Amino acid sequence: MPKPTPSQTVGPFFARDLLWKDGGVVLFPGRGERITLTGCVFDGNGAPIYDALFETWQADPTGRFPSGHDGARPYGYGRVSTDTDGRYAIETVKPGSFTGPGGETYSPQISVAIFARGLLKALHTRVFLAPIDLIKDDPLARAIGDLERLRTLVATPDPDDPKIYRWDVRLRGAEEAVFIEF
Amino acid sequence: MAETRPVDVHPPYLYPDYKSTRLRAPAQSLVRVAPSPLETAGPVFPKHFVGKSEADLTAWGTSAPLGEKMVLVGRLLDEDGRPVPRALIEVWQANASGKYPHPVDDHDAPLDPNFLGKGQVLTDDEGRYRVVTVKPGAYPWQNHPFGWRPAHIHFSLFGNAYAQRLITQMFFPGDPLLAIDPIFQSVPEAGRKLLIADLDLEQGIEGVALGYRWDMVVRGPRATPMGV
Repeated sequence: MPKPTPSQTVGPFFARDLLWKDGGVVLFPGRGERITLTGCVFDGNGAPIYDALFETWQADPTGRFPSGHDGARPYGYGRVSTDTDGRYAIETVKPGSFTGPGGETYSPQISVAIFARGLLKALHTRVFLAPIDLIKDDPLARAIGDLERLRTLVATPDPDDPKIYRWDVRLRGAEEAVFIEF
Repeated sequence: MAETRPVDVHPPYLYPDYKSTRLRAPAQSLVRVAPSPLETAGPVFPKHFVGKSEADLTAWGTSAPLGEKMVLVGRLLDEDGRPVPRALIEVWQANASGKYPHPVDDHDAPLDPNFLGKGQVLTDDEGRYRVVTVKPGAYPWQNHPFGWRPAHIHFSLFGNAYAQRLITQMFFPGDPLLAIDPIFQSVPEAGRKLLIADLDLEQGIEGVALGYRWDMVVRGPRATPMGV
């Protein structure tokens, strides 16, 4: 059995090489109400991380997994870098819930991977697009247990525009987001 | 509980000798969960996502780039040793002088107008890939006094499932800078040689390009129960 190739940092010099035109606009075959997931990524001092690669992968509004492409780019996948304020923005559709192999229900969520200088491995997590009261049976919510920690993974609709979901990610320290390993 | 995990070849998040990890590594333990069925699926790239010439980083300019031309071949496998076919591999690297065409690269070394240092390739049905490029130069960095990064090529791998996603770096055999590079040294000893390509002259082009071979291994698609 071959050993997996070790991870290394994406480094600071990826931007021109890995970013796609409109990479932050996630494509789906059907129509669906568009939403925007946006927020900032912060380090352990609360400073914005301006050189992160932020990737998303998600189900469509009915909970089906994308399995194709529009001829140019894969469906369901988003990829942007943060800007000088640490800000990312992903325009997409609101994912539906889906069922796992053991019958467990996964709440509406987007799988997120963050790469950056200073991250020797990707940081993986899942952000929920549903109120915290409605996600308590989700497998990850159960694994976390602690409501305060779970709260770090809940995106909240903007009070002025419910199509905008806000989610800030703190990599270290106070209100540190929950990260996962598979 | 499932079987014990095999020896971890991956670096830790916090590796203080690599200074940028100190404020970016999470302080809390990661929560271990099974990949969701969404995460054992993955993005599907159209066949023509990759242009024919994109695997040749030397063919971009109006004439040949400076430096030592090289051919890199290898296979993308999963942990069961099975090839991962039709998977996207993205590469990027410094030019032969150790300079990236990137606005934040302040190394006082020349850009090469005939070298952009980016490419991509899809693995074939047997998981094989082939990239033509020039050997990147080493370059100084500010992490510690007299710090120099060893020559390396960056790799971004998708595999066939989201849970296989991996970004890493490939290094060259016999490079004395490996010993002083905290990014390379962050990898547990058992994993370090996995990041170093082998010289494989016959994969090169006689009289033109050196040959190297480097296989990459991503976790298996059935990797679902790993350690869960």
